[in-house]
Amino acid sequence: MELVRKLEILADAAKYDASCASSGAHRKRRNGGIGNAEGMGICHSYTPDGRCISLLKLLLTNVCIWDCAYCVNRKSSSVQRARFKPEEVVKLTMDFYKRNYIEGLFLSSGIIQNADYTMEQLITVAKKLRESESFGGYIHLKAAPGASPELLLEAGKYADRLSANIEMPVQKDLDRLAPEKTLVEIESTMSDIKSGIDAAKNSTKRNGDAPLFARAGQSTQMVVGATESSDTIILHKAESLYRKFDLRRVYYSAFTPIENTNPLLSEPPTPLMREHRLYEADWLIRQYGFTASEITHGARGENLDLEKDPKLSWALRHRGYFPIDVNKASARQLLRVPGLGAKNVARILKIRHYHQIKLEDLAKLRVRLSNAKWFVITADYNPSVYQLDAEKLEEKLKPKVFQPSLFENLSNAALSGEL
Amino acid sequence: MIQVSIENNFASWRVAARKCLQKEIAPDEILWICDGCDGFFENDFAAEKTDEKIYKVSPDFLPLAEALVCFNDACRFSLLYRLLFRLVHENKNLLHIESDDDVRRARLMERAIYRDVHKFHAFVRFRSVNIDDKEIFVAWHEPHHFTVERSAPFFIRRFGAMRFSILTPKGCAHWNLEELRFSEAVTNQVLPPDEAEDFWLVYYQSIFNPFRLKIKAMKKELPVRHWRTLPEAALIPELIRKAKELESKKRF
Ligand code: SF4
Repeated sequence: MELVRKLEILADAAKYDASCASSGAHRKRRNGGIGNAEGMGICHSYTPDGRCISLLKLLLTNVCIWDCAYCVNRKSSSVQRARFKPEEVVKLTMDFYKRNYIEGLFLSSGIIQNADYTMEQLITVAKKLRESESFGGYIHLKAAPGASPELLLEAGKYADRLSANIEMPVQKDLDRLAPEKTLVEIESTMSDIKSGIDAAKNSTKRNGDAPLFARAGQSTQMVVGATESSDTIILHKAESLYRKFDLRRVYYSAFTPIENTNPLLSEPPTPLMREHRLYEADWLIRQYGFTASEITHGARGENLDLEKDPKLSWALRHRGYFPIDVNKASARQLLRVPGLGAKNVARILKIRHYHQIKLEDLAKLRVRLSNAKWFVITADYNPSVYQLDAEKLEEKLKPKVFQPSLFENLSNAALSGEL
Repeated sequence: MIQVSIENNFASWRVAARKCLQKEIAPDEILWICDGCDGFFENDFAAEKTDEKIYKVSPDFLPLAEALVCFNDACRFSLLYRLLFRLVHENKNLLHIESDDDVRRARLMERAIYRDVHKFHAFVRFRSVNIDDKEIFVAWHEPHHFTVERSAPFFIRRFGAMRFSILTPKGCAHWNLEELRFSEAVTNQVLPPDEAEDFWLVYYQSIFNPFRLKIKAMKKELPVRHWRTLPEAALIPELIRKAKELESKKRF
């Protein structure tokens, strides 16, 4: 098979993994080598689905011995199969990198033979890049669940990031859709990766020199909407993964039924908005000091509100917490105000040393006043805050036209098979 | 009203601004003229010996000023001087008050520069070209602001083992493995083809998920004005058309 055809098949097969991050790695270019990493990853392009292209994202092969129902590459799927030779991936990576198309490589694979064999193949590519090509760019390797700790340790020497996908928040879902996978095994892989990262950090502290081990940490992905598991269950799972394994990120991937989708998956299609709300909630947990229970507790039903962002929903359910005086409140309190982001909170804290903050200041900082004004006290008269307890506030904060994604219709049709 | 004529760079503005400040010339008394216009300043004022009085301003000011000087609008010099004047005469903490009109404007301009540099790093597309048996990576890029000097060091840190030239309508940067050289602006360059680019185009099409069309989100990050220097952008209209077709086909 021609290289260009392989590229087509194995990029297509890789696109359902949502991770495109290339941040968090710091590596100086080796003398005579190509490539470095400067912490902030760069998005070199965007496709019309709005996603960033930062890495060359490929599967080494889409051949897989397993049969996860939600996955295009599962054994029983009828997609065309292909497999790269390691040196082909190395060449593509170097060619793309030198032309400034990418920050590096994200290499995943279907399971070939077994987890260890698969892991060895991925490591071969990463090792060639680092050692034969003196490549200093970003490398993200997928960790096959159940791969031996020794192999994970080796992978971490070459990779900036490792990720083992959790796929589903509860075992019951895996039993149904990915019977070969167990949460216990996937989490033990995460725990091995964490040990590697911690060990490297500790020895850096002791010896000063930095043994490289997955410096950009580990991440994971959950498929959303292929089972009944609610956002409440998903967010609690995400939170516990953050706590247990210091994950950098949990990615959420709205399940899209495609051509040869497994008939097992008769769930209603997942609106992209649901995925979006999960990302917002995740952000609140990681950056704003919210807990998963705060975000989900008291929400109508078990899922996040699709019409309102999770912070606004929380605020409407906790009006007793407000109003917040922007001239006196702590950073933690300010972060809870709908429409106020972390950057603006930092600005407000500075400005109020010098003068009292009025509504006009907030407007100039481009705070989203349509959300924020109901919840804050400013130095001047803010009439909106008197409506904080009004029943109809909730109505007022509803988006005028709620536009469900165009593609909900599409997925509906795809699912019912009405072509 | 006096005219102060300077070159289009930070050093030149800085020398002039310091002198104006020493003479306590108010911001609205100065007309800043950039690039070789002969004004009162160059002829009389610059030659004058003034005792070098050092002005201590907030350390945040320098990086802000360095960024703003790259901004592609003549107003930048007067805004900078007004900020400097106000920092000295009105409030040394002025820069912390981000809701102040001048500060806000400056910060917005600064952000535009950061973004321009960021997009410079992101959107330069090299083609491998053979010149005198040497492989040189050449790119044509169109920054919006004067960001060639600011953006170039990144490429040396990353690609220091490759010869490269980045050509732009705002100036060019050249790396010969030893030194970085800047040259005059050029107009649109057509480069010889590079096979790797064909693979890139195939990759771009294959990684796109037509079931998740989000055109607005894409345009926000990939502004249309950059499309003409990005080889993959030529594919966008066709990819969108096919995705929409897929959608309407499936619906019936
Ligand atoms: S193991 Fe991975 S590639 Fe194989 S079917 Fe499951 S999700 Fe797909």
